[in-house]
Amino acid sequence: MDTLVQQLIIGLTNGMVFALIALGYTMVYGILEFINFAHGDVFMLASFLALTLVGALGLQQQTGMVFALELLGIILTCAAFAASLNWTIDRLVYKPLRKAPKLAPLVSAIGVSFILQNIGLFWGGMPLKVFGGGNQAAAPKAFPDLLPATNLLGPNSHLTLLPKDVLVIGASLTVMAALYGLVRFTKLGKAMRATAQDPTAARLMGIDVDFVVGATFVIGGCLAGFAAVIYSLYINTVHYQMGYQNGLYAFTAAVVGGIGNIPGAVLGGLLLGLLRALSDQFIGAQWQPAVLFGVLIVILVFRPAGLLGSTAREKV
Amino acid sequence: MAEPLLELDQVYASYGAIESLKGVTLSVQAGEIVTLIGGNGAGKTTTLKCISGLHAVSRGSIRFDGRDLKNLPPHDIVRLGIGHSPEGRRVFARMTVAENLDLGAYIRKDKVETALDLAKVYALFPVLEQRRQQLAGTLSGGEQQMLAVGRAMMARPRLLLLDEPSLGLAPLIVQTIFQVILTLNQQGTTILLVEQNARMALKIANRGYVLETGEITMTGPASDLLVDPRVQSAYLGQ
Repeated sequence: MDTLVQQLIIGLTNGMVFALIALGYTMVYGILEFINFAHGDVFMLASFLALTLVGALGLQQQTGMVFALELLGIILTCAAFAASLNWTIDRLVYKPLRKAPKLAPLVSAIGVSFILQNIGLFWGGMPLKVFGGGNQAAAPKAFPDLLPATNLLGPNSHLTLLPKDVLVIGASLTVMAALYGLVRFTKLGKAMRATAQDPTAARLMGIDVDFVVGATFVIGGCLAGFAAVIYSLYINTVHYQMGYQNGLYAFTAAVVGGIGNIPGAVLGGLLLGLLRALSDQFIGAQWQPAVLFGVLIVILVFRPAGLLGSTAREKV
Repeated sequence: MAEPLLELDQVYASYGAIESLKGVTLSVQAGEIVTLIGGNGAGKTTTLKCISGLHAVSRGSIRFDGRDLKNLPPHDIVRLGIGHSPEGRRVFARMTVAENLDLGAYIRKDKVETALDLAKVYALFPVLEQRRQQLAGTLSGGEQQMLAVGRAMMARPRLLLLDEPSLGLAPLIVQTIFQVILTLNQQGTTILLVEQNARMALKIANRGYVLETGEITMTGPASDLLVDPRVQSAYLGQ
C-alpha cells in the first residue's frame, strides 16, 4: 500500500510537468492545427537559463524570504524568456508559412527544434562553474538541490513527501487554475476560444486573429518556462536533449488527452506520469517505454480523438 | 444623390490564377436594401468577402462612408460598421447561443446599449432566447441562420452583409428571416443581400444587381428586375 501511494506521488509530480508542457502543444494546435515541435526545446533552453541564473546568483540550499524571492525571480525570468523566444519563433518562422501546405511549418518546426538543441549544446559549453566549466558541453549538468530534503510527513513515516513535491504540485495547480480563468473569463480567452473554433468567423467578430495567435505562443512559452524551472528543481539535472524527450512525452500526453483540448492536456499529462511511475514499480523500469506507449496505443485505438477530444470537428 | 454608404469601383479579385471578380462596380445608399443575385460561382460570396476584408482585392477600390477600405484587416472593417453574416452561417458550434451573441458584441464597450440590442435580437427571434443555453451546433439549420443574423446585429452595424440567408431552409423559416431583414432595414440598418432565391430577394429589395461570372450584367430597381424577361428566364424559372 505504501509503495502504491509513494508511486502515485511520484507519478503525480512527473505528470504535472508533462501537463504543463503539453498545454503549450495543445493550445497552439487548438488555434493553428499545427504541432510546434520546437516547444520542448524552448522548455530546455529555459532550464539552461535557470541554471545560469542559479550560478550567477550563487544560490544554495537555504530558506527565508530573500531566497523565496530569488526563486520567484528566476521563475518569472525564465517564463518571460521562454515566452519571448516562442513568440519570436512564431513571427520569424511559422507566420510566413500560415497559408502554406501543412507540412511546411511542420518541417520548419522540426528544424527549429534542432537549431535550439544546437544552441543548448553551445550554452552547455560555456565556461561557467554551474556547467562544470563547460568542458563537456553534451554532458548532463547538475542542477543544485535548492530545496531542503526534509520529509514533510515526519522522519518516521514510510512515505516520503518532499518540499519539492509540494512545490511542483502546488505551483502547477496554481498556474493551471490561472490559465483556466484566463481562457474562460477574460476577453482574450473569449477571443482564443472563438479563434480555435473558426478563425474566419472570429475575424468577422472583430477579433485580431494574428494577435490571438501571438498571445497563444506567449502563454504556451510562459508555461514551458515555468515548467523548466520546476522540472530542474525536481529532477536536478539539465541536458540539451531534455526538451526532445520530455517534449515528445508531453506531445503524446496532449494527443491522448485530446489534442486542442486544455483539460485533456492536463489529464493526459497526469495519466502519463502515473502510468510511468506504476510501470516502473510493478513491471520494471527497463520496460517503461514499451508499457507506457503500449497502454497509450490501446487508449488511442478505442478513443482515436483522445480521452476528451471530440470525435469530429463540428461542421454544419 | 448623396454619396453612397458603400461603393465598389471596378473591383477585381482572384483565387490563384482564376479571376473571380472582373471589375465589379456597385453602390449601396444609406437606408437601402440592395440585392446581388446570380448563379453558383458568379462571385457573389467573393464580393461580400472583399467588402469585409476576408478576401484580397487585386484591383479597384471599395469605399465605405467615404473611407477607402484598402489593406484594412477584417477586424478593423467590423469596427467601421460593416457586419457580415457569412456563407454557411459559421456559428461557433461548441459555444452556447448566448456566447455566440456575446461574441457578436466583441468590439463593443457600451454594456447597457449592448444589453438592449440583445433584447432586440431575442424579440426578433424568440426561439434564440428559449435556446440561449444550448450549444449552437445542436440548433436546426433555420435557428443557426437566425443566430448568424442575430450575431451580426450585435455589433450594431450600419451596413449588414447577408450571404444566402435562405439557403437550405424551409419556406416558413425563410419567410421569418426575410421579415426580420425588412424590420432591421426599417429600424435603420442598410442591407446588402446576396441570394440565390432571387424572387424573395427582389421582393424586399429597393434595387438589385445581377452578377454573372464575375461581372455585373444588369442593374435597376428591384421591381423592374422582377419583371425583366432575361431575369425571369435565368433566375426566376419562368
